[in-house]
Amino acid sequence: MRTPGLGRQVVRAGLIGATAIIYCAMVGLIEQLDPRKIVGSQLSIAGVLFLGLPPIIAAYVATRPRQVRGEEVQPGIGEAALAGALVGLIVAAITMAAIGLANLLGIDTTRNIFKSVSPTLLGILYLHRSAVSGLAILSVVIVLLGAFGGVLRACSVGVRRPIVIGLSSVVGFGMLQRIIPTAMDQLGLPKAWLYSTTYLGLTWFGAVLTFAVAAGLTVLFMRKGSQMQRGIVWMTGGERQARTAEVIVLVVILLLLPFVAGTILSQILGSVGIYVLMGLGLNIVVGYAGLLDLGYVAFFAVGAYITGVLTGGLLITTLGLKAPAFHGGLSFFIALPIVILAAALVGVLIGAPVLRLRGDYLAIVTLGFGEIARALFTSDWLKDIFGGTQGLTKIPAAPIGSLDFRNPRTFYYLVLVFCILAAYIAWRLQESRVGRAWNAMREDEQVAEAVGVSSTRYKLLAFALGGAIGAVGGALFAVQIGSLNDASFTILVSITTLAIVILGGMGSIPGVVVGALVLIGVPGLLSEFQAYQLLVYGAVLMAVMILRPQGLIPNVRRTRELHEEERAQDKWAGDLVGDEDVVAEPSPLGEGSG
Amino acid sequence: MSLLEVRGISKHFGGLFALNDLEFSVEEHEIVSVIGPNGAGKSTLFNVITGLYHPDGGDIRFRDESIVGLTPNQITRLGIARTFQTVHLFPNMTVLENAMVGQHCRSKAGVFGAIVRSRRQRTEEERIRAGAQEALDFFGTKLAGYRQDQPAFVLSYANRRRLEMARAMATEPTILLLDEPTAGMNPHETLVLRDQIVRMRDERGLTIVVIEHDMRVVKGVSDRVVACDYGQKIAEGSYDEVANDEHVIEAYLGTKAVG
Repeated sequence: MRTPGLGRQVVRAGLIGATAIIYCAMVGLIEQLDPRKIVGSQLSIAGVLFLGLPPIIAAYVATRPRQVRGEEVQPGIGEAALAGALVGLIVAAITMAAIGLANLLGIDTTRNIFKSVSPTLLGILYLHRSAVSGLAILSVVIVLLGAFGGVLRACSVGVRRPIVIGLSSVVGFGMLQRIIPTAMDQLGLPKAWLYSTTYLGLTWFGAVLTFAVAAGLTVLFMRKGSQMQRGIVWMTGGERQARTAEVIVLVVILLLLPFVAGTILSQILGSVGIYVLMGLGLNIVVGYAGLLDLGYVAFFAVGAYITGVLTGGLLITTLGLKAPAFHGGLSFFIALPIVILAAALVGVLIGAPVLRLRGDYLAIVTLGFGEIARALFTSDWLKDIFGGTQGLTKIPAAPIGSLDFRNPRTFYYLVLVFCILAAYIAWRLQESRVGRAWNAMREDEQVAEAVGVSSTRYKLLAFALGGAIGAVGGALFAVQIGSLNDASFTILVSITTLAIVILGGMGSIPGVVVGALVLIGVPGLLSEFQAYQLLVYGAVLMAVMILRPQGLIPNVRRTRELHEEERAQDKWAGDLVGDEDVVAEPSPLGEGSG
Repeated sequence: MSLLEVRGISKHFGGLFALNDLEFSVEEHEIVSVIGPNGAGKSTLFNVITGLYHPDGGDIRFRDESIVGLTPNQITRLGIARTFQTVHLFPNMTVLENAMVGQHCRSKAGVFGAIVRSRRQRTEEERIRAGAQEALDFFGTKLAGYRQDQPAFVLSYANRRRLEMARAMATEPTILLLDEPTAGMNPHETLVLRDQIVRMRDERGLTIVVIEHDMRVVKGVSDRVVACDYGQKIAEGSYDEVANDEHVIEAYLGTKAVG
């Protein structure tokens, strides 16, 4: 190894990769997800994600360019391949050792402690062959994948990106096996060439084709992307029009989605939509105003329970259903403004006592408030109104005439309307004087005060508005499922919502949508993941924090800032030499954005 | 009646008297320098005036009304703006946005206006932008052009100081409190800023109180100099009077050895 420090990286990456595989095996992920095939009869989700991916990523990371005495050194292809293979070898060796150890202790003994280490799991790891030949093949594959990861890193972007996007597309299409075939059925397209009827995943032909198309499109876009963009601008007659056209296309796609997709997808999208609303609301509190609220479930509960009571939900008692002490019977759309006002009020009530708290202290107190809200709604004290732990049921499905919104497709549209509305409001606020005040307060509360921003006022405003939007999410949740009980309002709701905001990128509206799709949509599509939801959240959040702390789709302004930084440094150099007034050049980014 | 009167103000932290019965006043369109050795209580004085600290005793009157007990944002709204000894910007906001936050207290558009994008909200937004622009323009090309769209954290140290002053000026104050504005600037920049402080008064009609260690600046700008030590005023008067005052010399250099 000529690159300094590479050896140590290889060992470290190998250890981490092996740990990942062994961990996934021992918590049962591999066994759970093995039946779900992605391609053909061989490649399962478990195989690809938990056996294949760790050595690739480990090797990729181990061979990344690093700073050596101020210079960036990237190992060459040959060296990277060798290093990658070594990473694979370490991963394979440790995995084999672990399997050997389990066998040595006896499967039954091991299983007393690690419940998921079952004969089935070993069968999967033996690739459904004899132990020796199966493990030998697995080891060779892991070593090769390691080498592949190293080579991938050493390639130029022009080669690497199409391959990565192509492979990700294959995995993605394979995982969407419940959605895409249904959509193709709906559209009357033949699907047997793409998805196997016996194994449900992609056919090998389909996989190769998917890879080729995705990689090809990537290459095309990388070469001609700017031209294509210019073409669109030219066709629509201006940048602004082009952006409008993009939004229109997006909205049309969103409107048509339920027709193409089946009931399952509509249902999942409905839940995603609810969390998009929640995320947008929490984004105002956390992303804009910088107030870490861990009790956001309070607003969700306020929205759901007040909607339930006002629109005429019934209490579940031992003697059967009965009307609550306060029986509304209002239409959902009349109840909603009341719910929003109530939530805003709750926001102010929660906000007022915590005005002086910051950071960790604020987080802990709001965490408590979230639990208090849940305890109140499910308490015996308010049992006559909210039904205690049994909760409410028979909440009307927000009917308008003969149209009712419990059907997943119609519900999807209801949620979509509120999501678009909330996104618009969030966007307008961000770009306004109010948004600037929040921004300033988040960056430095004391200084914002000294510049004339009332932190009291803007904190309460953030809690009230964020709470109101979250309550709409809760109200829609009540409509969607029709009955409420204490299980729906745990701290998990707060955590999920916060995870969505962080994953997407604090303060970013598209980020919230992507975050909700990843954290609500993907587990919805893969019901096998449900038991591992928290594990996945943890892993995803850690990965984001390490690899992309600004989030998947960071706030546009921030991204621009990060790019501008380098340019600014260059300009500085000029300042330092000549100092007095280097003539300010117009920024190239200034064009069109003003 | 003076524009700003500090009457017998005291502030102590535990047993330490940062301000001890301090008296001074500022007339309209005056430039007053506050000098004194480190720890004399100068910055504490600014913090007490702007409401970051509550005084333990005494009164502060602005236009003959007490401002003790008001929050910092209320005091800024009344017309007292400040900069900090260590620069405090909003580092991730752009230069222009930093100055626009300064205009916050001179505008009113709320949530509703922002959402429906009312005509009033849009004209006000334009006005905020123009006001911020005007404040930045005070520093000529230093905070102009492409720099305005950059985040504040990329600015050079001197430019950060200038932006902080521009942000304070964007609040359209009557009195501007500058806490060591030339700290960290090179000699040339210091001289330019000295002239700018005078221009702030002459062109923008500001009343200025400046804490400063650089005696060339103090000499160049001050109508009056107030010297402090141990939280008390030890001398007051023209630059020459204060510079030759024995208490001041003693505070800076110590007493002459006897014998």
